[in-house]
Amino acid sequence: MKKTTITVMVMLFAMSLLVSGCAKTPAKDEGLTEETTKVELKQQQPAVVVEKDVKDDAAALARAAELAAANGLVRIQFDFDQYVLTDVAKAVLVVNGELLTAAPAVKILIEGHCDERGSDEYNLALGEKRALAAKSYLVSLGVGADRMSVISYGEEMPIDPASTKAAWAQNRRANFKVKR
Amino acid sequence: MRYFKPFIFSIIMLCLLSSVASAARIEISAPGEQTIPLAATHLLPMGAGYPGLAEEFQQALQGDLELAGLFDLVDPDAFLSDADKLGLRRNEIDFYQWRMLGADALIKGGYKVDGGKLTIELRLFDVITQRLLTGRRYVGKLTDVRNIAHKFADQILKSLTGEKGPFATKIAYISKRTGRKELYLMDVDGHNSMQMTSHRSIVLNPDFSPTRKEFIFTSYRNGNPDLFRKEIYTGRESRLSLKPGLNIGGRYSPDGREIALTLSKDKNSEIYLLGTDGTIHRRLTNHYGIDVDPSWSPKGNEIAFVSDRRGNPNIFIVDIFTLDVTRLTHAGKYNATPAWSPKGDRIAYSRLEEGNFNIFTINPDGSDDRQITFGKGSKEHPRWSPDGRFLIYSYDLHKKKSIWIMRADGTGRKKISAPGSNDSHPAWSGSW
Amino acid sequence: MKSSRKQRWQQLQSVFEPGFKQMLLASILIHLLVPILYYSPLFPQREIVKPPVYRVNLVNKIVKNPQAGRPEATVVKKKTKVKPKAKPKPKPKVKPKAKPIPAKPKAVKPKPKAVPVKPKPKPKPKPVVSQVQDKVRESALDKMRAKVAAQAHKDKIAALKAAALAESLIESPIVDAPVGMADGKGDEAGVSAIASVQEFIQQQWVFSEYQAAGKPEAEVKMAYNREGTLLHYKFIKKSGNSVFDESLTRAIVKSKHLPQALPEAMEFEIVFNLKDMLDK
Repeated sequence: MKKTTITVMVMLFAMSLLVSGCAKTPAKDEGLTEETTKVELKQQQPAVVVEKDVKDDAAALARAAELAAANGLVRIQFDFDQYVLTDVAKAVLVVNGELLTAAPAVKILIEGHCDERGSDEYNLALGEKRALAAKSYLVSLGVGADRMSVISYGEEMPIDPASTKAAWAQNRRANFKVKR
Repeated sequence: MRYFKPFIFSIIMLCLLSSVASAARIEISAPGEQTIPLAATHLLPMGAGYPGLAEEFQQALQGDLELAGLFDLVDPDAFLSDADKLGLRRNEIDFYQWRMLGADALIKGGYKVDGGKLTIELRLFDVITQRLLTGRRYVGKLTDVRNIAHKFADQILKSLTGEKGPFATKIAYISKRTGRKELYLMDVDGHNSMQMTSHRSIVLNPDFSPTRKEFIFTSYRNGNPDLFRKEIYTGRESRLSLKPGLNIGGRYSPDGREIALTLSKDKNSEIYLLGTDGTIHRRLTNHYGIDVDPSWSPKGNEIAFVSDRRGNPNIFIVDIFTLDVTRLTHAGKYNATPAWSPKGDRIAYSRLEEGNFNIFTINPDGSDDRQITFGKGSKEHPRWSPDGRFLIYSYDLHKKKSIWIMRADGTGRKKISAPGSNDSHPAWSGSW
Repeated sequence: MKSSRKQRWQQLQSVFEPGFKQMLLASILIHLLVPILYYSPLFPQREIVKPPVYRVNLVNKIVKNPQAGRPEATVVKKKTKVKPKAKPKPKPKVKPKAKPIPAKPKAVKPKPKAVPVKPKPKPKPKPVVSQVQDKVRESALDKMRAKVAAQAHKDKIAALKAAALAESLIESPIVDAPVGMADGKGDEAGVSAIASVQEFIQQQWVFSEYQAAGKPEAEVKMAYNREGTLLHYKFIKKSGNSVFDESLTRAIVKSKHLPQALPEAMEFEIVFNLKDMLDK
């Protein structure tokens, strides 16, 4: 029973995060820290606890967790020519890590990407560094290394192909995809 | 007999005296003209004419000659009667006419079409000394017209500079004209482009084997950036290196026996040497920073590469035997895509400044760093012609990517890829 | 002298075999055959290559002892003993670059049917005060003026182009300096043969920077007669770079005839290298 509530909690939180994540990409100077994220988590708890009416089917639970992971994993952003995780990125990874811990059967592929500036080869290596930085942080959060593989696409697959600062910021990222 | 001695003696004395008679010394330290006035006449039919053939030939040849930078082509409108005479033998040519037009060199030629067979006879004459400099007969198919023009242009450079031209070679490149990045092949002047892969994935960064008709490239076809090898004529294709992580930037050694590339199998990009069977021969770099983009010195003992081990991406050189690493570039904040010239005297690379790449060349000891492209848009991925005369590169202006060619000093820039073709990452073959 | 020659001939004869005379005769006949054959239709005739017209910058006369001055200077009026060259129209200060350049004269020549303009050769023909009030005539005049102005403008551009071309070849065009050499010590207005020959041969030499490899240098001895015709030449030192040496051969062949006579038969030892080209 307890497990179920947590799962639902996590799921709903993930949804909310997804919505907020889609609404605006975290800006760098917002200075979001791990602390505040935890506070948010606490604040949202009451709303979640209300829901109780969930089936006790283990398979369904696992599926729900997988779905949560599949939909809830949020990408992280990087600074230009950097693969060091920003505080914002770390906060996001904490949430991603929780989603992954809740769905132990899920295996993911972390994709590293770069903006169009810089040389292609270098960006392939940089993208991989980004993906690896995300992976090792998730490992430090307790996610099994064998569940995560990485790939770099360098600057080959931009989200926004425009040559603007906003587009570049979007494109410097690590994506998380659930492997099927 | 005894009269001979004084006779000879006096002759010698005369010679001595005349030579001593104050020959004025002059030094001429530069030529008065720095382009060779060359008259390139139209191909004339030896028998029945074939419409458009001479024009096609002329267009191909003229493009090469202009790019060479050596010539000042004499205006064909000024040509006199000799231009319409088929005579290809030395004594059939009215050199006086050409001399009057100020031509120092003269190209004459004729063609014959016999069924599908094409024969082209070509001559290059020295107008001043009235000498045949080079004469060739080419036999091929009708579709070989341009190729024959390129081959003859190579010969012209050979007889006027002592070194063959690179015009009859090939360019491999990446094009996104289908919506996906695939590998293509074309002539040095951009004609005869041909799609070589159909991976429907991402194909990157080709390189030619110096010894065989094949190339290597990276493709995501199997979900990972693996190194592929493809034989050009048979179309046979295989994966050469499929280590986890990156298998990118493969470059054949000058002798074709090894391949330098970037692998990240140990969670960090490093430069390795592979055998042509794909086995790892040696690891060349060992640093937690990014190491990519190897380029061989023509002697095959050193490799230039890009590393951010000192903060920003810069060009470094590693000795493949001692593994000593020296830093090549110091200026600028972002230097990448090195290409070592086949003569070994220069290394071309691109530098990112104010959001755009431009191409520079530098001596391998780090001296004489020179910018050779300027202006809007990014110019990247320089690669040398096999003779070191020219550079080919990617040009990206407002997302329109195309391949350009220029002389090694940055002059004579010319777009060679077709309009709107979205081409990048050229690589120049060896002699074809 | 004659008798001694005869003696020598007899001596020689005595040395030779008895059949020598016949052999000599046969030899002469065979030798005679050569020119006969040469002019026969068996050997097609080729025209003798006449030297084409060359552009030279040192237009001044070659003298033996040039005075101090500028080799490229235009002859100054005072020097009456020098044959006046085709001088441009006066007013050198209007067109300081008015040098004897072939393309030049056209610039000064007004259109034959031009409206009365001020005699100034410069463009901008200010309307001459003609008190004609007829509007039609006025407009016609305007048209003609415009035409003249356009022509003058064109000519001016042509002159400027020619001047720019000349300037690229000559370091400092100077009109007022005396004609002579910078290191001249003589008393004749003119240029030294050496400077003139150097200039001329350099102009004939065609070599591209894209042909260069290394630092080639070659030395050639060239002997000219008084008329400025090359008698013979010889490579004293070849560069070892055949492309470079061949370019010199072409330059020498083109320098078979100098554009001016020399004060005397002369020999030159010319060093060819690329010092000033590669330094660029």
